[in-house]
Order: sequence, then structure tokens, then C-alpha cells
Amino acid sequence: MSRLMEPLSVGGVIGEVVDNFIPSVNLNVTYNSNRQVSNGHELMPAVITAKPRVEIGGEDMRAAYTLVMTDPDAPSPSDAYLREHLHWIVTDIPGTTDASFGRELVSYETPKPVIGIHRYVFVLFKQRARHSVRPPASRDYFNTRSFAEENGLGLPVAAVYFNAQRENACRRR
Amino acid sequence: MACASTSASATWNMSSLRSAIPSIHARSASSVHLSTGTSSSRLKLSSSKVPHSFVGLAPLHPLFSLSSPDSTSFEHCFTVIDNGGRFFAMRHGKRVPKLNRPPDQRRALLRGLTTQLLKHGRIKTTRARASAMRKYVDKMVTLAKDGSLHKRRQALGFIYEKEIVHALFAEVEERYGDRNGGYTRIIRTLPRRGDNAPMAYIELV
Repeated sequence: MSRLMEPLSVGGVIGEVVDNFIPSVNLNVTYNSNRQVSNGHELMPAVITAKPRVEIGGEDMRAAYTLVMTDPDAPSPSDAYLREHLHWIVTDIPGTTDASFGRELVSYETPKPVIGIHRYVFVLFKQRARHSVRPPASRDYFNTRSFAEENGLGLPVAAVYFNAQRENACRRR
Repeated sequence: MACASTSASATWNMSSLRSAIPSIHARSASSVHLSTGTSSSRLKLSSSKVPHSFVGLAPLHPLFSLSSPDSTSFEHCFTVIDNGGRFFAMRHGKRVPKLNRPPDQRRALLRGLTTQLLKHGRIKTTRARASAMRKYVDKMVTLAKDGSLHKRRQALGFIYEKEIVHALFAEVEERYGDRNGGYTRIIRTLPRRGDNAPMAYIELV
């Protein structure tokens, strides 16, 4: 169990975005049907323009899940005063299906990293009841922890993140 | 002894010469002591096997620090020979990362990398460069924590862009006020496609 959590805590996701949790549900995020998101790997901005296919595990289809995608390094990792920037919220996803079966609360916004290398975090929560999640007021100054508190979501059940920088950033050094 | 000899006598007095030279006879005496191994009140010889050269009465230059092994710090201008002038064919115990570059290029590389890290907050580079940079980034943050004009000028002499130095000095108090050291984090990642070099992200913690 701790082997899955190591990249998340080393990458700072546990600590800055969410608290320490025990992952209980499988989460597969795939862009363009061939680029799977793995913790800490880098994706090109051309790949992440469209929303990904998110497949979740879980035991049955009666449970509802909420997926949140944020950027904790907005606008720049060295000075993240807009932490975090919200990109996507999908609620009422039935278990063992994918995100297209859910209700998109906040539409997918294409990540545009301008300065530095940004982390983009997908967090999956289990809902207690359907239609219990309300959209936040704005995309900036988002706080995943307080969002979970307000909507009674508790600790996450899965998380994954990837890195992205702007298209013409220096990569050879 | 310093008087110019205007006397006509050319003969030297050997006893006066011998008393002027520092005696090194204790060395041969100690080898006999070590072989016998008796521990009475003998003269213990100092650990160096080379007889001390005559350094004269001139005071040691204050900038020569004989005990500091750090010859890569940026305010250091003189070569320090800290192993008694011995040279070895191997690199045993020397922990300076050379990064496959001569010293001037190495210094420039590390200056550039720390400038970029302080500017962007997170950069992706090779693992060797990332672990070599840590020391310089921590040094810059420590200078900023001190905050005096002298330290600011020292930082300006290292970082390539002055706006970054001023921004660092302005915000270090609230960001790193409580943290003692360890201002960076290194995350290893996939190797680079072109040459399979092991890569890492280094970020300000």
C-alpha cells in the first residue's frame, strides 16, 4: 500500500493538495487513448488539450464518485499565489464505469502552463449520496481539502498526477 | 647573522651553521622507538612524516584558510593545498562533483541552473546536476535569510538576474522562515530519450 503512495508524497501531492489517505479504488486516466497518466511523468501540452478518459474501479454501480482535477502550481511553482487552479469536476460517476457517465459540474479547461513545470492532480472522492456536490464559486484559489469538507466527501479514495510544461520550454538541460 | 661579512676570513664555523638549521634527528630516533614498542616517556613524534619547511617570520595571509576543504565556493580566489602538497593518481574521498566540465564551465553551469530554479520553481535536469545544485540553492536561500547588504551583493554576484535576487530576498522570510535547511526536493523520473540519461525534477520545497 505504501509503495503506491510514495510518488504522491514525494511529489508533494500528499501534503499540499490532500491529506494522507489509503487508496481503495483503481483510477486510470488516459489521454488520446494511448497516453496513460502515471505519477510524476510528463505529458506534452498538445496531448492534454481534450478531456481524458477516466476509468474508475469500485465494487458496484450504485456508489457515486466525484473526480476533481486541479493545478496546485498556479501560476508558477516558485510563487503559487493562485493555488490551486481548478480544471475539471465530474460528479455522480457510477462505480466501475468511466467519467463520461457522470455529470460534469465544472467543464474541462485545457491546462496552459506558462511558467515552470506544473503538476496536474486528479483526485477521486466517494460520495455519500447522489447530487450532494455543489460547484465552487470560482476556479482560482481552490482548496481541495475545504471542497471535500463542504460537500461531505471525506478523504480521497484515489489520486494520480502528471507534470506539464509549455510546448517550447527548454528540455535538454 | 644578518650582518654583511666584511671580514677577510673565509672559513665558516660549522657548529654555528649546524645550530642555525632546525634539527631533524628526532625522526630516526622514533623509528627505533616504534620497533621496540616501549611506552616510557619518549618524545612522541608528530604525525607528519615530512620535516617542516622553514616558513619564515612573515605572518600567514589571512585569506589562506588551511583547514577549509571547500575550494569551490564562489568567494574563494586562491588555490588551497590542504593535503600537504601530496598528489594522488586516484580520486579517493574527493566529493566535489565535476559534471564532466572544467572548473569555469562547471561554475557557470551551476550558476545558471540555480538561477533557473529560483526563477521557475521546478526544473527538470539530470540527476547528477540536480544533486550538485542543491548546495548552491541552499546557499542562496541562506544568504537571503540573512538579508544584509553584503549578503545581497554576494548573491548578486552569483545569480545571473538581479530581479530574481531581489524577489528572493523579499519573499524568503515568509516562505522559509521556519525551515532550517533543505530547501529543495529532488524527484527522480524517467530517463531522457536521446541518451538515456537519468533525469530528475528539482524543486523548491
